Amino acid sequence: MARYELTINGKPHTVEAQPSKLLLDVLREDLDLTGTKYGCGEGQCGSCTVLVAGKARRSCLMSVSQVGQQPVETIEGLAEGDQLHPLQEAFLQKVAFQCGYCTPGMVMAAKGLLTENSSPTRDEVRKAMNNNICRCGTYGRIVDAILAVAEGGNRG
Amino acid sequence: MADRPHLSDASAQARKASYRQETEFAPERFERFDAPRYQFEITRRELWQSLGAGILLTITLPLSAQEPDAARVTRSPRQELSTRFLFSQTDPIRVLTGKVEIGQGARTLLAQAAAEELRLPVSALQLVMGDTDICPDDGGTWASLTTPQTVPAMRQAAAFARELFLELATAKFGQSADALQFTHTGITSGTRQLTYFELAELAESAKHPADAALTPPAEWKTLGQSVPPIEGRAIVTGAKRYASDLKLPGMLHGLMVRGSHYNGKLATLRGEPKLPQNTRMVRDGDFLGVVAPSPELAHEAANSIRAIWRANALLPETRLHEEFMETAREPVAQPGARYPGLITRGDPLNAYWSSQRRLESKYSLAYIAHVPLETRAAIAEWKEGKVTIHYGCQAPFLVRQEVAEAMGIPETSVRILAHDSGSAFGGKQRGEIAVEVARLARDTGKPVKLTWNREEEFTASYVRPAGLLEVRSGADAEGRLRAWEFHNYNSGASGIACHYDIPHAWCGYHPARSPLRQGSYRSLAAVANTFAREMHMEEWAAILKQDPIAFRLRHIADERLREVLERGTAAFGWGRSVRMAGVAQGVACNLEKDARFALFMEIQVSGADVRLRRALMVFDAGAALNPDNLKNQIQGAVVQGIGGALFEKVDYADTRIRNARLSRYRVPRFEDVPDVEVLLIDRREVPAAGAGEAPITVVAPAIAAAIHRGTGHWVRELPLLPALARIVNPGPAAEPARR
Repeated sequence: MARYELTINGKPHTVEAQPSKLLLDVLREDLDLTGTKYGCGEGQCGSCTVLVAGKARRSCLMSVSQVGQQPVETIEGLAEGDQLHPLQEAFLQKVAFQCGYCTPGMVMAAKGLLTENSSPTRDEVRKAMNNNICRCGTYGRIVDAILAVAEGGNRG
Repeated sequence: MADRPHLSDASAQARKASYRQETEFAPERFERFDAPRYQFEITRRELWQSLGAGILLTITLPLSAQEPDAARVTRSPRQELSTRFLFSQTDPIRVLTGKVEIGQGARTLLAQAAAEELRLPVSALQLVMGDTDICPDDGGTWASLTTPQTVPAMRQAAAFARELFLELATAKFGQSADALQFTHTGITSGTRQLTYFELAELAESAKHPADAALTPPAEWKTLGQSVPPIEGRAIVTGAKRYASDLKLPGMLHGLMVRGSHYNGKLATLRGEPKLPQNTRMVRDGDFLGVVAPSPELAHEAANSIRAIWRANALLPETRLHEEFMETAREPVAQPGARYPGLITRGDPLNAYWSSQRRLESKYSLAYIAHVPLETRAAIAEWKEGKVTIHYGCQAPFLVRQEVAEAMGIPETSVRILAHDSGSAFGGKQRGEIAVEVARLARDTGKPVKLTWNREEEFTASYVRPAGLLEVRSGADAEGRLRAWEFHNYNSGASGIACHYDIPHAWCGYHPARSPLRQGSYRSLAAVANTFAREMHMEEWAAILKQDPIAFRLRHIADERLREVLERGTAAFGWGRSVRMAGVAQGVACNLEKDARFALFMEIQVSGADVRLRRALMVFDAGAALNPDNLKNQIQGAVVQGIGGALFEKVDYADTRIRNARLSRYRVPRFEDVPDVEVLLIDRREVPAAGAGEAPITVVAPAIAAAIHRGTGHWVRELPLLPALARIVNPGPAAEPARR
């Protein structure tokens, strides 16, 4: 076991864990941040997407020891109090979900995408999001939601 | 097909199905049942029951009033006693249902139904779903029955509650009903209020009203509106907790030890496992698992066990269709079943042989997996001989029965708390994980959590049946179909009826033996049956050199089905020439579960590669009770259907499923799917049909029709892409296109 000082959603957290323990498991088991989901364990579905140092990463492929000092942002850190992040607002407005299980990963991947490309085309959104799976099939609505934020110019 | 017996001569030469009848088709459960996976040592426990706090208002409904279309569904006597509402002094009105939320929108829709009749906003109600101790058994969440069955039942119960409360309040206040107001907390008259709790107390000794009218569609305030999902905010903030997110105080973690063979049987253990401290092994017949204080220790414990498994080789895939034919049983009529296994009209055998033109075709489809994004997870806790199980399942009452049988305790000693599920698609009807976690937890005295990983989700669950379909039909000199003979081997009976106006028809489902354990899937066999039926119509249109829509319309009397085709023709720009190489259009229509719909697709084919460019669904489900949710369901079903149509297939050989992970089992992604436009025909006065499943049925035939129009190739096998690749690049071992 080793001790890790993590910065999650702007707050410091101390975790005792094996160095190989996955960031996904640390978030869910040790910190009870269960918005980040397990879907496949091999980086195929994107349900576990979080931002590490501002970039969308698969928390099921990253060990806690690899995180180091880099800040981690999860779905729980997006809203400020009652004020939803524009992406969350857009997903809500477009009802870009059904069961909602993929939604946190989708929102985080979208945030990572808009950080890199603030005004993507429809095809660019599809391409960038292609590694996130929604089994309920709400892809078209998710693209609509992301484009609504991109065009709105307020992407936090 | 000429070498096989058919129709009337078939029964005389009925096949001798010599194998033990392993599966039994239970038509009203939409599910195949097989033998229990585990046989546990039984310990009898005391019966113990608990009830939630508050007053349960029990309303007995006359059967005819509860179900407007009573002839269509059979309701068990226990469902007559409808226990729908829980009133307390502190909480909002709790509305009880045995249905569950799996992403299809039942939570919001049923709240709308109750709110409409109670004259309240949706926000005044709190839905309690799938708690077997307090909710009525509404049947499993399957077969798109929430809309046609549970919504009317909910509305009727709410209308009775409304009338009952109004009578009581009228008497108490000495005011006419018009002067009373329904609020979040009670009924008011000026400044005076009777809370719902007080009204419920009064109602216990009151005489129930004889009748309560449902709100006519023209006056709906909540139904018919696109009420947003109740859980929307919790979903986008990540606050929503699925069963896989739950933790209970003192909870232990379980893990199953399964070996890598499909359906392997435990032979023996090699040596005594060196289990880590505080962990234990649970072995009971073929059942082998561990329980530990943490997931890491559970893995360590599992790894310390050296188990030897025995498994029989699975039947080679190349022999699958042969097996279906050899083990096929004759169709059984099952009158009154929702999906009868045999439907006949006229004299199809004579009509076929006396037809001027005849056509025979074979179609097939592969096993596919449900791949719910949330893998199964459950927590079990035993107290005083009673087990409570948290599980995101589709059929809590069925799971309760399964657990009770496996554990050898009465159903009253099992409480299933169904949690909203991270999708299910027919895959979470059974209670495999509930039985496992109940057994793991039984002697621990603590709650135990079990979460399946993705591989277990593929291998320890069940698959959508594969199938072989044979169709032969005959047309008269004018090109009008007059005979239709339709055989489905193994995949199922739902959607097998031929809704085209063909005077002589025989449609039969032959149950057969399957190497893989199979069960329900969104729309059941309607995908297979619609694929074969629509492809066959398409083939006829091509033979007769007729436009496929015009050809279908010549065989459709149902005005609503005609209308979806006609409106789609115009809206989609059917037949409009697109001057791009390989671009083609395809269409398929259906009358399924009382909905009428047509899907128009435009694709681009290049070699064996197919890109979907455009899709339009014209959909008539009667009244659209929540139009945006209906659209969302239709769009989602089309997207899901694309997977089974183009590339999904469970790959197995020897003793293993070989693609039990998402890097090897391809599901539809953003770049695979077009935007799906939906044109709803909203008929307020027509009872709403459930539509979560039906739209998936037309996806494969619409794409396959477009492939034919673009390439001249008939691909009669699902998934289409590998089959198209074999046609385009004939040669040994053509592999399916991998992304």
